[in-house]
Order: sequence, then C-alpha cells, then structure tokens
Amino acid sequence: MNRRDFLQCAAVLAAGASVFPQSWSMSHEQHAFLASQPNYIDRHPLTFFDEVQRAAVSAIADQVIPATETPGAVEAGAPRFIELMVADWFNDGERTFFMAGLADLQSRAGGSFAVLTQEAQLALLETLEDEASDSPWFQIGNVQRVWDDSAPFICQFKELTVLGFMLSEVGGTRFLRENTMGAFDGDVPLATDDAAYAAEMPMRLVTRS
Amino acid sequence: MNDTQFDAIVVGSGISGGWAAKELTERGLKVLVLERGKDIKHGADYKGEHAAAWKLPFHGMPDRERDASEYPVQSQSYAFSEANIQFWNNDKDNPYIRTEDKPFSWKRSDVVGGRSLLWGRQVYRWSEQDFKANATDGHGVPWPVEYKDIAPWYSYVEKFIGVSGETEGLPQLPDSEFLPAMNYFDLEKTIKGRVKKKLPEVTITMGRCAILTQEHNGRAPCHYCGPCHRGCSTGSYFSSQSSTLPAARATGNLTLLPNQVVERLEHDETGKHVTAVKAIDTQTGERREFTAKIFFLCASTLASTQIMLNSSSALHPNGLANKSGALGKNVMDHAMQSHISMMVDNPDGYYRGERPNGLYIPRFRNVGEQDADADFVRGYGYQAHTLRPDWQTSFNSKGFGADYKESLRKPGPFWIWALGGFIECLPQESNRVYLHANKKDRFGIPQLVTEFNWGENELSLARDSAKQAEKIFRAAGAVYYTLADIDAISEGGAGIHEMGTARMGDDPNTSVLNKFNQTHELDNLFVTDGSFMTSAACVNPSLTYMAFTARACEYAVEELKSGRLS
Repeated sequence: MNRRDFLQCAAVLAAGASVFPQSWSMSHEQHAFLASQPNYIDRHPLTFFDEVQRAAVSAIADQVIPATETPGAVEAGAPRFIELMVADWFNDGERTFFMAGLADLQSRAGGSFAVLTQEAQLALLETLEDEASDSPWFQIGNVQRVWDDSAPFICQFKELTVLGFMLSEVGGTRFLRENTMGAFDGDVPLATDDAAYAAEMPMRLVTRS
Repeated sequence: MNDTQFDAIVVGSGISGGWAAKELTERGLKVLVLERGKDIKHGADYKGEHAAAWKLPFHGMPDRERDASEYPVQSQSYAFSEANIQFWNNDKDNPYIRTEDKPFSWKRSDVVGGRSLLWGRQVYRWSEQDFKANATDGHGVPWPVEYKDIAPWYSYVEKFIGVSGETEGLPQLPDSEFLPAMNYFDLEKTIKGRVKKKLPEVTITMGRCAILTQEHNGRAPCHYCGPCHRGCSTGSYFSSQSSTLPAARATGNLTLLPNQVVERLEHDETGKHVTAVKAIDTQTGERREFTAKIFFLCASTLASTQIMLNSSSALHPNGLANKSGALGKNVMDHAMQSHISMMVDNPDGYYRGERPNGLYIPRFRNVGEQDADADFVRGYGYQAHTLRPDWQTSFNSKGFGADYKESLRKPGPFWIWALGGFIECLPQESNRVYLHANKKDRFGIPQLVTEFNWGENELSLARDSAKQAEKIFRAAGAVYYTLADIDAISEGGAGIHEMGTARMGDDPNTSVLNKFNQTHELDNLFVTDGSFMTSAACVNPSLTYMAFTARACEYAVEELKSGRLS
C-alpha cells in the first residue's frame, strides 16, 4: 500500500468499521485537510521572473534533470519550485546573487539561454561548472547544512533543481518509490534497478543540530 | 464545587501531568489540569502527519527567517519541522535568558499534551546501581529511594503505555514489561553477531520504546510511517493525548484548561500549605485564581522551578519550599556525541516501512564496580541508527543530464551505522536557573536565566564514548568511521532531558522534595516532572518520571483521605 492508497483506505475505514480499534483511522478532519491542500508549487502564483528569465530557468532545469524514460524536472514542476524559492525563501543577498548569476548566464548565452540549441546550452552549463569546479559545494559530506550561500550560481541552481524534482510528487512517485506503511521489514532484497524511497523531509534538517 | 475549586490541580499536561491527571481522577478526585499551551485535538490537529514533502511549504526546507526570529532555540531540534511547527514554543513570545558562556537550550512545547507529542519515545528503567550512584561516589545527595521501591511502579506504567523491546537480563538495565520488539535490519543482525563474538561485554538490543508492536489497551500497533513527532492519530506511540488524558477524561472527573500560564502558588498563614494557583489566560490576559486540596507541578523541569521561584513570600523568601537553597540548582541533561561509520555489508538488502526506533547499546562501563582504566565515574549508553544513504548525501556532484539524473535514483552502495552516545551528567550547583531581577515576559513574569556547562566527568565520558565507539565499529566490520571530537559535544539542554532543579532527598537542608515527591516544607505540594531527579543516570528519563508520578499520586491521595493534608 503506498501513501495515496493509505489515505484513501484510511478515509474508507474512518467512515466504517476497522480491523483494530482506531487502526488506520485518521480523522475526517485530517484527511480533509491533506486532500484539500494542493501541492506547495501549486499553491502560489508565479510573479517573480519575467518570461525570458522563466524560460531560461526552465531550460536549465531541463538540462540538469531531463525527461528520460521517467519524467524530468520540468514535468515535476521544478522551475516553479525554483521561482518560489528565489522569491520567497532566499534572503535579499541570496536573491541578488542568484539574479546576477542568471543575468550573467543570459548574457553569455547572447541574451536568452532558452533559444540556444540543446548542445550549446549544455556546453555553456559545463563551462560554468568547470569554472566552479574548485567550490567546496562539491566536497563529499557538504550536504549536512541547510543552504550553502557561498556556492557558485551553477551549484545553487543544481541544488534547487534537485530539491524541486526529488521532493516533488512526480519525483517522489514516478522517479523514486514511495515506501509502504503497515509493517517494518528489514530484510527486503534490493533489485539492481530498484529506486530509493521518496524522502519525507530534506534530510539535512535531521542533521542540522 | 464551582469552576474554580477542585480537589487537585495539576500544572502541565505533558508526560508527567497526563499521568497525574489519570491517577488522581481514577482515584475519585475532581482534577483541574492547567496547560500553558494551545488546545489541540488528538488526530484532528496532527496536520503534518503523513504529509508528503511536496505538500509542505518550500518542500519542507526550513523557513530560515521565521525560525531565526521566532524559533531560534526550538528550530535547532531534530524533531522541529514545517510538519509539526504547531506543537512548538514560540521563543519570541516566551523568552528565557541564555548566558553567553554558559549556554542552555530550552526546548518547549506549546500545546495540550506538551512534549509527550514530541519525545523520542525511548524508555529504559533505571537500575539499582543508578539509584545508589550518588551515595556510592559522593556526588550530589543520596537518593531517598531504591530500585525495589520503584520497580512495581515501572511495571504499572509500562503495562499501560506499552513498551516494545527485548528481554536481556542485564543488572544495569532491568527489563521492562515488554511487547514484542521491532524487527532488525538484516545488516543489524550481522553487526550484532560480529560484536557479540569480539566484544562480549557489549550488548546490542532493539531500542526499548513506547511504540506498540501489537494492539494494546485499545490503541493500534505502529504502522511504520516514520516521523512520530508529527503526531500519531492511531495512538501507536504513547502520549498524553493518546493515552493518559483520555483515561482521565473517561472518569468524568477531569477539567482541562488550555492557554493558562501559572504565575505563582499561594500558601496559607502557616506557610506549610498551598491554597491556590494564580493563572493568566494567554489569549485574554485575564488573571484567575483556582483552589484545591493538593497541587501537582508537572510543568516540565525549568517551568515548575520558575513557578516555585516566583512564588516567594515572607515565609518563603527564596522561593517556595526553598529553605535548602537547592531549588534551581543542579540542572542536568544528557551530553550527546555522534560517532558515524560506513558499512559495505549487505548492499543488495533494503527494507520496507520506516522504523521509528534504533538499536540500543546499554552502559557497559563501570558496571557494578569502577573499571580500572576509567578516569571517570558513571557511564553512557549508545542509541544506534541504521541509515541507507541516497541522493540526499550525493547530489552535490558534477554533471548534467541523464547520467546525473540516474546517479540520484538508487540507494547508495553502502550503509551508515551511527552510534549516539548518551552520557550521564553529574549534579553541579553551578549549573542553575534563577529569576532575572528585572527582565519580564509579556505577562509580567520574571524571565528565567539559565547557566550550564558540562563538567570534567562528562567530558571524560565523552572522550571514552569515542574510544569505545571505535572498538565497536571495528568489531562490527565498519570500513570507515568518524569519531566525534570533544568540541562536538551537544549543548546543555539539547538532549531535552533537563532535570534536577528540585531534587529529592531525605535531608530537608539539602533537598526540596521527600521520597514521595512531596515538598519538605509544604505538605500538599508535589513536583513530579524531571525537577525531582537527584541524579541523571545515562538513560532516557521519561519512564522514570511516569513511575514516580503514579507513585506520588497514590501517596498523595492516601494522605489526603487520611486527613493529613488539611
């Protein structure tokens, strides 16, 4: 049973008899609350980027995590996530830094990254990553922090894309797998092609203190 | 009896307050519970339970600006997140004073149920050695009780709350009344087998936790969703909300008022008898007085102490029941150190469900007698956690496109096995809290000043916890490990096991409470949260608070019925 099945099942059980007393019976209020909540990226209008910037952000995210046999960053709404994070989550300094990085990338792309060919886009991103290659952002273990505001633009962009994709509904259910509820089994074979489980929370929070 | 007169008043609705409410109402007393926090309903108000990351603001990334201004202390907890922020204390609205070079982190809840909603749910009995420790090595004052006095009360509370775990027969960690233990990761079985062969003095057992593995007292077994601290609508872990408050309510004897900050206690002209509680409504500012025959302070260690300090009078000039001067002193917590290893065994093994519990390595240093190589007294235990790394620890790599994407998809090719040392803290007078001379909170209540530093013994224990963790990692077959440096020791309070500021003892000149959690000086005042703790042991303390609370309630009601408390 995955999480969505669990919620549906819970609603049914809450309305009628249950196997155990209180078992699986999330309250009506809780179910209604969860069901009524749109996903984070769909709850807020996008008002921060202009159209050219928005197209560039979408194109970069698509280069970082493209659609393959599974959906990519764009279908998962990562560009929306990036715009909301830059607008609402970044502090003023981080926002200024990010927008300067985006402006620099646009200017090196001749004004609009989005209209470059796929090959030219990738080449430009690889150039940026080369220039940033000595950043501590790449060091093993530099993940146990909330945000690395000293990282170069390209690194910050990748990180936002990853968070926007891996923690999204599309990323969590169609690229990763949802863990099941009901029992704990610590002896389950992992097939060569099995994905990891979707995260319930960014792990860096667990290790921040 | 009107709406301000009761048989008993309990301040606080967390782990201790919930137990006091249950025990007193079940003995027929009309009980008022005053809770500082907001009213929330079991289940219905666990808004973040089962919420996926994509439902949470910023996908669960912390709102740094808000946290820095409103939750600077609370947001440092592992359990604090967007998914349960409604449970936590707002530090800006409810300030206390941290002392720069003696920092203490005061983690607080702000809802009915208190920290019983947020606790780590680990439950371990104290041993005979723990209760004798102060008398044996001379630190603090001797406990006025022995293990055999408390053992039946441990059984009593365990049977109600439900404790899952394994029977081990260890003298330093007596077994509880167990429900079946949770399952092991396959890797943990491998580790356990290796360590048993190489280090026979080290026991590895499943964490003992107040989480059900089978239906118990009308509550459902754990469904292994993972983050208990978001609240559990199936009541599968013990909280006041799921267990003791419903039991108290069922008697028809419970009145619970949320949003009530207790300002002070009033006493009669003899100074030996509490008469009333003065409370302030946090929403309206209205001040009310409630009277009762007996009073239980269960507001959490520092909060109960703050109330007693703020109840000073002509007869109690240094705070209520503080003739000894011990009130507010000897704050203890558990020091924590995290040692981390990498294991490459069983890379093709995975798991299903999220187990909200780890392994436990009971104290094995200075057990029974002092170890010859130990430059410290007392000991520590480890909580061990098994984790399969994934994209969250490897996303910061180079590359773009399909290959980079694919690198994020699968579990990492190794496991993390971490040992979290929980280190016993000795009582020290210099670790203390007191009322600030003029800084007040929004209700006009003097703010609490905190001063805390680890002592030499804790630092020696922490060093040893690294040394022994290295032995355990090697025996377990770790291929790489990092040992926490002494600088990485947790800040005081971060263990969220603060205790000791109204310690119990036989001597009224050196302690605040007698062996039944009754103040030496006022006959109808009982304190049963962590403030009564005379020493800290190295195990998680909540189970001990519950056992002493239930025991104190039985005693208080007998005293009341025999007419000795009026």
